[in-house]
Amino acid sequence: MKAFSTRHRDLWQSLGVLLALLIAAAIVSPRDLRTGQPLFLTTDNLTNMLRVTAPVAIVALGMTFVILTAGIDLSVGSILGLSAVVCALSLARWHLGAGVSVALAVAAGGLAGLLNGSLVALLRVQPFIITLASMIGLRGLTRSLCNNENIGLRTAGDEAVRFVDTFSQKPVMIGLFVALAILAAAVLRVTVFGRYIRALGDNATASLYAGLPVKPVLVAVYTITGLLAGLAGVLTAARTTTGNPNDGIAAELDVIAVVVMGGTSLAGGRGGIAGTVIGALIICILANILGLRNVDANAQLMIKAGIIVIAVVLQKVRATR
Amino acid sequence: MLLGLLATVVGCDKPSATARRLVVFSQCNNAEPYRAAQNKRFEELFATHPEIKFVIYDGQADASKQIAQIENAMLQKPDLLIVAPFERNALTDVMGRAVAAGIPTICLERDIVKPNYTTFISSDNVAIGRMAGEFIVDLLKKKHGEPRGKLVEITGMSGVQGATDRHRGAFEVLNKYPGIKVVHQATANWMQAEAMPRMEEALAANPEIDVVYAHNDPMAYGAYLAAKEKGRAKDIAFIGVDGLPTEGVKYVEEGILFATFEYPLCADKAVEIGLKILEDKSFKPQSQYMLESRAITRK
Repeated sequence: MKAFSTRHRDLWQSLGVLLALLIAAAIVSPRDLRTGQPLFLTTDNLTNMLRVTAPVAIVALGMTFVILTAGIDLSVGSILGLSAVVCALSLARWHLGAGVSVALAVAAGGLAGLLNGSLVALLRVQPFIITLASMIGLRGLTRSLCNNENIGLRTAGDEAVRFVDTFSQKPVMIGLFVALAILAAAVLRVTVFGRYIRALGDNATASLYAGLPVKPVLVAVYTITGLLAGLAGVLTAARTTTGNPNDGIAAELDVIAVVVMGGTSLAGGRGGIAGTVIGALIICILANILGLRNVDANAQLMIKAGIIVIAVVLQKVRATR
Repeated sequence: MLLGLLATVVGCDKPSATARRLVVFSQCNNAEPYRAAQNKRFEELFATHPEIKFVIYDGQADASKQIAQIENAMLQKPDLLIVAPFERNALTDVMGRAVAAGIPTICLERDIVKPNYTTFISSDNVAIGRMAGEFIVDLLKKKHGEPRGKLVEITGMSGVQGATDRHRGAFEVLNKYPGIKVVHQATANWMQAEAMPRMEEALAANPEIDVVYAHNDPMAYGAYLAAKEKGRAKDIAFIGVDGLPTEGVKYVEEGILFATFEYPLCADKAVEIGLKILEDKSFKPQSQYMLESRAITRK
């Protein structure tokens, strides 16, 4: 019960930060030259912002599961690239339908995740190493699949255009994120699987002795993350009307930043989906307002770094209290 | 704490009293010497127009980022939008939306999939390649009395239009002379650091090299450094492309390169056309402006 209330206090704190950031963003936002309205608060801007963040935020849901088991998945950026390229190849070169192409791309992501999970569970090698290897290998596979070329979708036939016009829409991209976030939160909170995930991160040895299905749970969390990274790749391909073999480079770092920002501990066991959603919003508001103000890109990187360190320090203060 | 940090960075609000026009330049990646020179030139040119607020957005070599930034820019309803697209497929749609929203849009250097722009300003890499090819032929004629010799080509990133065109243009000319042999060809992905080991390999395999043709100046310079280390730089003529004042032009002045061929920054033309669009509502720009290159050679 104590842990439960602590978690809620953390969430309220994160929400407070989010609210403060929203107000700050509205204040420092550049204004419309004609109407004087803060541009940050326009519907157009808010939905632009959510759409930009949707792919990273969707992957972060899966990454939350992985990190709750005290694991890590460094390969999500490469999986995103793989899926974007598979999706574009399927539409532009193999001339398959939009539905089949999306399914293929998400399945490719799921397969990659299944491979990660199986290796982590069976070989008992640290997830950092397994997923580092697949991050490298999958990038090579992706580049060889498309021969280092960008695969354009805008001129690749009606089905490709239909795909782009459907999946790049704001309601689709934002809606998918919202729906998946609710689903992930429910899985973690009310299902047995969700409790196993937490238990595994709390104490892996005890979980094993308690007869928990440790290996299947591990395989499942990495597979889910792979599927979500696959979906993020599909959305990226739609958004950029391109399958680019370099899509998602360094995306794993953005994803991990979102999860950590949301208060999920890299040591496992502590944290959850609500925190990750708040983390995604904090990072996307920050990126949006810095972009609107056109702050220098290098300065943006340093600010991002500062924010991550502050978030982790706050987390530590809470944990030791 | 978050607020403090945010405030220190963005607190310096500067609502300019005099600026009545907003011009946004969406640059695909600030972190490249050519791009930095282009930005600098734009800023110099707009500095003489206090009535214009000129803003550069940095796409950071990421198509999704550049799209998001153009969307941000569109919220501010700029009077003119200039885009140097990172990737031709990805940027086509968003530029179309800008045009549809009534924002005059200038596309720089890289053609997009559909003509979603008010005008397109670029330079012709094939023509640049041809100039380089002709220069090489003349050089070899002077050296050997006839057009023959051994050539090393160091190419830019494979699959990139600039590299393909710079190669094609040069070889349209060079292929007419059977005496000119390509003894080594390697890609160094536009990077000086990669050109050095590629040139070392070329040097090891070929006791005689007359000319190195590199698709940009940093690679030509890298090749020069590798040859210099082996004491062979004096026997070889190094030729680059781009001709930035801080790179290629300097290398030619220092006697490192024999020649470089300017790839125009396009900024001067873009500002010229942009100002006309701003000042004269009835002005109809051409759909395309092709800029001439020029050779920069040793005096």
